[in-house]
Amino acid sequence: MGPLSWLWAARPRDLRRAGILGMNRRNGHYILPRNPRRHYPRVDDKLITKRICEAHGIAVPRTYWVVERLGDIPQLATELRQYADFVIKPSRGAEGRGIVVVARHDGQSYTTSGGQTLTAGDLRYHLENVLSGLYSLGGQLDRAIVEQRIVPHEAFAHIAVDGTPDVRIILYRGVPVMAMVRLPTRASRGKANLHQGAVAAAVDLRTGRTFGGVCRDRAVSAHPDTRRPVAGVQVPSWPRVIDAAMKLAEALEMGYVGVDFVLDAQLGPVVLEANARPGLAIQIANRQGLLPRLAYIDSAGPGELTRQRRMELLDSLPGLG
Amino acid sequence: MSLRGSAQWIAAILAGLGLACLVVRWNTRRQVVLGQDDTLWRITYQARFQATRAGAKLRVSIPSDTPSARVYRQDVLYTGLSAERLRSGRTMAREMLLVAAAPGQHTVTGRFDVHLSPAGRWKTAQADSALTPQERDEALRATAAYPLDNPAIQETLASLKEGLPAGAEPARRIFEFCSSQISAGGGDAPHDAVTAIRQRYASPLGRARAMVALCRAGKVPARLLTGFAVLEAERLELRFCVEARVGGRWVPYDPARALSGQLPHNFVPVRRDGAEVVRGTDIAALETSFHIARLPAGPGASRLGHGHWLGIFDLTRLPLEMHDLLAVVLLLPLGALVTAFFRTVVGLRTFGTFTPTLLALSFVYADLFTGLLTLGAVLAIGLTSRAWLDRLKLLLVPRLSVMLTLVVLSIVLLVSVLDYVGLTPSAQAVILPMVILTMMIERFYLTAEEDSPAFAAQLLGTTLIVGACCYGILRWEAVGRFVFAFPEVHLLTVAALILLGRYSGYRLNELWRFGDVARPKE
Repeated sequence: MGPLSWLWAARPRDLRRAGILGMNRRNGHYILPRNPRRHYPRVDDKLITKRICEAHGIAVPRTYWVVERLGDIPQLATELRQYADFVIKPSRGAEGRGIVVVARHDGQSYTTSGGQTLTAGDLRYHLENVLSGLYSLGGQLDRAIVEQRIVPHEAFAHIAVDGTPDVRIILYRGVPVMAMVRLPTRASRGKANLHQGAVAAAVDLRTGRTFGGVCRDRAVSAHPDTRRPVAGVQVPSWPRVIDAAMKLAEALEMGYVGVDFVLDAQLGPVVLEANARPGLAIQIANRQGLLPRLAYIDSAGPGELTRQRRMELLDSLPGLG
Repeated sequence: MSLRGSAQWIAAILAGLGLACLVVRWNTRRQVVLGQDDTLWRITYQARFQATRAGAKLRVSIPSDTPSARVYRQDVLYTGLSAERLRSGRTMAREMLLVAAAPGQHTVTGRFDVHLSPAGRWKTAQADSALTPQERDEALRATAAYPLDNPAIQETLASLKEGLPAGAEPARRIFEFCSSQISAGGGDAPHDAVTAIRQRYASPLGRARAMVALCRAGKVPARLLTGFAVLEAERLELRFCVEARVGGRWVPYDPARALSGQLPHNFVPVRRDGAEVVRGTDIAALETSFHIARLPAGPGASRLGHGHWLGIFDLTRLPLEMHDLLAVVLLLPLGALVTAFFRTVVGLRTFGTFTPTLLALSFVYADLFTGLLTLGAVLAIGLTSRAWLDRLKLLLVPRLSVMLTLVVLSIVLLVSVLDYVGLTPSAQAVILPMVILTMMIERFYLTAEEDSPAFAAQLLGTTLIVGACCYGILRWEAVGRFVFAFPEVHLLTVAALILLGRYSGYRLNELWRFGDVARPKE
């Protein structure tokens, strides 16, 4: 394999042999039949996801303020005076759009985690855009959530630049089938979004240790900014992550779902959001296809799976180290 | 049955149904049983002319419908010219305007297929509809062809009015004078009204003009009616008749053949208030000829009379002006099919689902060069002003509305500028889908801000690629005509869309995306 081998396309049968799940099959065979439309608000609206998490004892960042109406916005300074830092996010936002992380402020000027200085007017304008639905799925009117800023766990400090890494677990019928950790880069402007240039490393579902690595759909072994290897890092409190993910998938009643966690220095793993249409790059990070694992879970029969059965399936998933 | 299986069955049933309808209708249309004494004809125009400058205009009058004649198909072929769409005014006269892009020799060929039915079974605009003041003025106006104050006209009119009761209309007497007192001459005989009246000798055009002049002088609204008598002939000659407003309706007269009240069923009107069927400005050496040929019964000729409910499925019975529009509208599902293919099979992402199709649709109505220039300029102006608007911190809906207004103004001004600098042969309407463009500019700006300008440019590029493919489909006239004649082919389109909707294979771009993982390791 030469250095330019990526220029050549694989053949469909190569993808099938590797068990790669394609977008069409994901949508037609897993999302459409397994994710009832009526349950979508549970994942598309982060406020609802948060309430479900709280009801099931799953840790989430603390909510400081919910901006429901344009009329609430003038109270910005009053509401947030007591908090040294916070995050503003659209309740129905997608792909991390519209998220502003304020690292410090004096009530007049607000400095983001990226070092940008915003005035109170800038922040009010941003909130107005969020409420107007600029960042929401389908452009519907939205709410803005102001919540606790996560202080990233130091486990990933050497391979995360300008932002907070997160952990994504994909669950099928309540069984975790694949996981990865997404690491922000300068190119991704501190966001843990792969299509913006963040790096991902696979996470071993049994041990919680990272392996592999991908950046812009190509296999990598080191973080492009820090040059440190992305493999071999232990995700802290991994059993708690797995447990929370399984509980949440059960509560959401979504058959095919991605759950995103961030690792807070004090709180440990907290759920950031759930996703009914999780992306497929996780397969590149893991250098394995999802299909054999999904088929293995389907071989357990069509009925609902008990917690114990799901744990057994997780332990015996094909392709685990 | 599995979901996949049932979708395939439904697609197969729809495709079968579509094909069955197609075959049945194709055969019945090929073996059209025309009404008794009905005939089909093709009238062909040939025009050659020299454009003396860019922007030279050629006007071509086109046969129009009567209760006994219906134009069911039209083709106008030309090169180096751009055409404005078919239009028809209150007089129901159809006309096409062709504009030369550059000086030089040009040829235009027009083919018009006409269905003649002596039974007179088609409904057309009523001849007795009210006359507007403007129409009345035009039909009474003195012109170079009708010098109403000329003594010959005034004296003849006075003698014709002698003994006529006060208030009675002189049209009948004028008609009798023109048909019996002015003797018939050939093509060399005088064509103008005054000489015809003085010499009592004229060509058919001269007699018709004499009648129009005398009617107008006698305050009876009148106009020349030029058309063809459809009959077997080597060369088709124009016929000149008169329409005079008598008793609140337009009454036709043919002074050359002494016919009044009703013209023969085979008379197909082409132009009102003028003798030349093909004429223009800034052109020279115009040569025109007209030919006619009888056609066998075939697609497009309507078998069913007006009023039969099965006629609903025959779109070709609709007025000719609607054919082009409906043909393009009927191509839209094919545009959607192309978009669905690109998204589902190739894996290209675009700004908005139907943006490419709607952009392509707007280009069908615009000159391609003008359209592309306008699109580029609107995107540039839109993105610059969007960045500027960001500083004003406006709420979403007012901001989008400002953007829409700017897009509208840019389009209108650009069309005007293009016309002013003469970059385009005519300022043809570039009605780009403004709301869609506004949303595209907004999405482009946000994507460039939140992802990267490169990613936004990539999405714009794929949107334009898919749009170009849709444009190719929408411009495909033969396909448009076929779908217009057989709209049931869209059952096949729906079948194809259902199959695409259930396609679970890899997208083309995934073969690269997952290449690293999937390629066999050496």
